[in-house]
Amino acid sequence: MQKIVDVQNVEKIYGKAGEKQFKALSDVNFEVKPGEFVGIMGASGSGKTTLLNILSTLDTPTSGRVQIAGQDITKLNNNQMADFRANKIGFIFQDFNLLENLTAYENIALPLALQNVSTKKIKPAVSSIAEKLGLTEILNHYPTELSGGQKQRVAAARALVHEPSIVFGDEPTGALDSKSARALLDTLAKINRDDDVSILLVTHDPFSASYCDRILFIKDGEIGQELKKEDNSRAEFYQEILDSLGTFAE
Amino acid sequence: MLNKLALSGIKHRIRDYSVLFSGLMIASAIFYMFMSLATNQAFLSSNSPASATSFIFAFGIVLLAIITIVYINYANTFLLSMRQKEYGMFMMLGAKSSKISRMIFVETFAIGAISTLIGSAIGIVATKFVGQWLISALDMQVKHFSSFYAPALLWTLLFFVVIFAFSAIRNAVSLRRSKVLTLLNRDSQPVKIKRNGVIKAVQAVLGLALLAAGYYTMYFSGNNPGAIYVGIPVALVTIVGGSYFTINAFVTSVIVMLKKKTSFSQKGLNNFTLSQLSFRINDYTKILSMVSIMFALALGAITVGLGFNNQIDNVVNGQNYYDVQVTDPDQAQTKRIKSLNVSKKATYNFKTDGKAVYYRSSQFKSQPVGYSQMNMQTMAFKMKSSNDPANNSNARYELMNTRLPQYRVLDAKFVSDAQYDAINGKETTTVLVKTNSFKNNLPTIKAISKAENKRYPSLKQAGGDKYAAYTIVNGFFSGLEFMGFFLGIAFLAMLASCLMFKILSGANGDVKRYNMLYKIGTKQKVLRSTINKEIAVLFSVPAILGIIHVLIGLQLFVKILYQPYRNIEIPFAIFLVLYLGYYFLTRYLYKKIVLK
Ligand SMILES: Nc1ncnc2c1ncn2[C@@H]1O[C@H](COP(=O)(O)OP(=O)(O)OP(=O)(O)O)[C@@H](O)[C@H]1O
Ligand SMILES: [Mg+2]
Repeated sequence: MQKIVDVQNVEKIYGKAGEKQFKALSDVNFEVKPGEFVGIMGASGSGKTTLLNILSTLDTPTSGRVQIAGQDITKLNNNQMADFRANKIGFIFQDFNLLENLTAYENIALPLALQNVSTKKIKPAVSSIAEKLGLTEILNHYPTELSGGQKQRVAAARALVHEPSIVFGDEPTGALDSKSARALLDTLAKINRDDDVSILLVTHDPFSASYCDRILFIKDGEIGQELKKEDNSRAEFYQEILDSLGTFAE
Repeated sequence: MLNKLALSGIKHRIRDYSVLFSGLMIASAIFYMFMSLATNQAFLSSNSPASATSFIFAFGIVLLAIITIVYINYANTFLLSMRQKEYGMFMMLGAKSSKISRMIFVETFAIGAISTLIGSAIGIVATKFVGQWLISALDMQVKHFSSFYAPALLWTLLFFVVIFAFSAIRNAVSLRRSKVLTLLNRDSQPVKIKRNGVIKAVQAVLGLALLAAGYYTMYFSGNNPGAIYVGIPVALVTIVGGSYFTINAFVTSVIVMLKKKTSFSQKGLNNFTLSQLSFRINDYTKILSMVSIMFALALGAITVGLGFNNQIDNVVNGQNYYDVQVTDPDQAQTKRIKSLNVSKKATYNFKTDGKAVYYRSSQFKSQPVGYSQMNMQTMAFKMKSSNDPANNSNARYELMNTRLPQYRVLDAKFVSDAQYDAINGKETTTVLVKTNSFKNNLPTIKAISKAENKRYPSLKQAGGDKYAAYTIVNGFFSGLEFMGFFLGIAFLAMLASCLMFKILSGANGDVKRYNMLYKIGTKQKVLRSTINKEIAVLFSVPAILGIIHVLIGLQLFVKILYQPYRNIEIPFAIFLVLYLGYYFLTRYLYKKIVLK
């Protein structure tokens, strides 16, 4: 079976040669299969955002190979990277990052407009994803007229509307209260299940992580441990995560 | 400690602060430049024939003062917007609001004082160079023009100190009054767009009506010069109001219309650009209408300045038909004449017996004498020629001026070859040349005229040739022309930096937006072209309106200037090139801030 994400021997060193250097990632290897919901956990400063930035072509690794949907993204030039992000990747950021001068509808439609999808196709695409995320009522609102949870769901809709190969989230629930967080995660899990969308979620919140099929723990730039949900219930998995966080932190 | 923190805050935003500083310096430099002309009574009275000049300049001062206040207001908002988050943070961490407001007071005032001092110095230097450049480029004669003029400097400093004192107080008060939370979250405060169709429609009608009223006032005042003292203020008020409402209503409705047209708006980043614009336009209506007025004033000043230049040509050509007149040319003069681009050349001989001068009639048959006839009413002149000057007083007058002064009082007689040969007297040869263009041959014409004056010192007093007429007329109109150009360029610099400043002060808020667009996969090229488009619209809206203002505003000058619309493509082109320069600069700076 084809892998959606394939990371081999990735290393990231911040700082130019000769200056003060810092190794944020060393020899990272892992893969994500189609339809998988994978979480990445780790302490603050362990390199989660760094890893995500590399996967999403916003940053380049110092060495190593990253393949996404069969494409070696470290070999792309800037324009190709932009196209790649626009077509293959969806993003959900911690602070929503909606454009406050566009309505919810227009925000969601943006990735399609960027790909010059015809207007006729934009409307049904936006409507269908908005319905899945329960946004139909608020499509004409501007971001400032939405609650935090609604904003994040709009952001999620924007990340999903163009049917990307994989959705990346960097602490998407970080700015939400527990109820909104739960609602968002339920929706993501449902979409992951029903539509077979692969999701890679960075979080340090064990509850969010319990929604994943598999969790990678990262420490000081290295992947240390892997935890699989398998047939456990979410409550069991949650407990398991808490336990391993305890041991992992030592 | 807090002071140190505040200073390090400045260091982190050094680029924003340099934008702020250069903006304020430009403002005070231009204010000084204007004042150095406007307060210099000796300059004004010796360089302009029109009694209205003092009035025009007084009016200009008021206008510039208002514009400067608005401008500094923007700069101040920019400063406050940069600082409030940081100061809010300090307050959240427990700093006293009195301390914070003292800090912002000192900061505002210090920035104002420093930039005013440097700006005035720049103003002095700029006045010198712009003045020199204009004087030499336009061959102007300007009296009593000095780049350093103490009263102007004093007024500039005083004016700016007062304004900055007010701004500083305002900032201090506004920080003291605001709640910590509002300060911290001001960036994400919602900007509401009002989409009230009825009000917009009323505004559109009102705007167009005001514009029409203003335009008619200008047309009327131009044709009834007595009405000008009432007409100009009325036109100014109506046109300012009209521009405001037109921009607010008309431009927004165009944008809304385009947004509705999904086949356009849902292509690429079009919708984003439109939304940026519609948010901007609301925020920008005031400055855009102000810029359109300033644009009109600046372009108008340059156009009228050049109009005076046309006037010079017109009057000079109305004085003399021939560009050059040489009596008994020697080798040097003959050589100079050869280097002219000759379009007509005539050589006449005359003899004198002390009572009259005698010309050969036959010479006029073979080379008719040209003369120019000016219609005092329309100030238009006609070029004619005559082969029988005996019966043409205009031609005789033209001929008279071609003789040396001592022969001008004598009667001119036109005789047959036989009679001419019989006259016993000194014979003089006069060579007359009309070139293809007086202006283009000016250096040689000047040299010939100078040489003639040397050869015949009596000419120095009496003049008579075209170059002498040119010197007088040029001196007369140069002052006006100079003012027009100077004011035009000063206003242009002011308006364009106003607009630039306003656009750049929004750039900080855009960083996040463009960064997000980049992250979700927009190519740099697309982002750049979005920025270009957006800034182009913001620059062209006031430009288009301003050009219309000028085209109609020139009606004010139909009675004062000879053909005010002639050659207007030249000042328009000069102006647009400079304006485009500002557009490209703004674009460049904006991208530097927004795109990494
Ligand atoms: N641009 C950079 N230059 C130098 N060092 C950096 C840079 N970005 C991150 N780092 C360092 O790399 C390490 C990993 O940072 P990263 O942002 O990936 O952490 P994280 O796991 O996302 O932390 P958090 O949970 O707090 O968001 C940190 O020690 C950080 O200081
Ligand atoms: Mg992080």
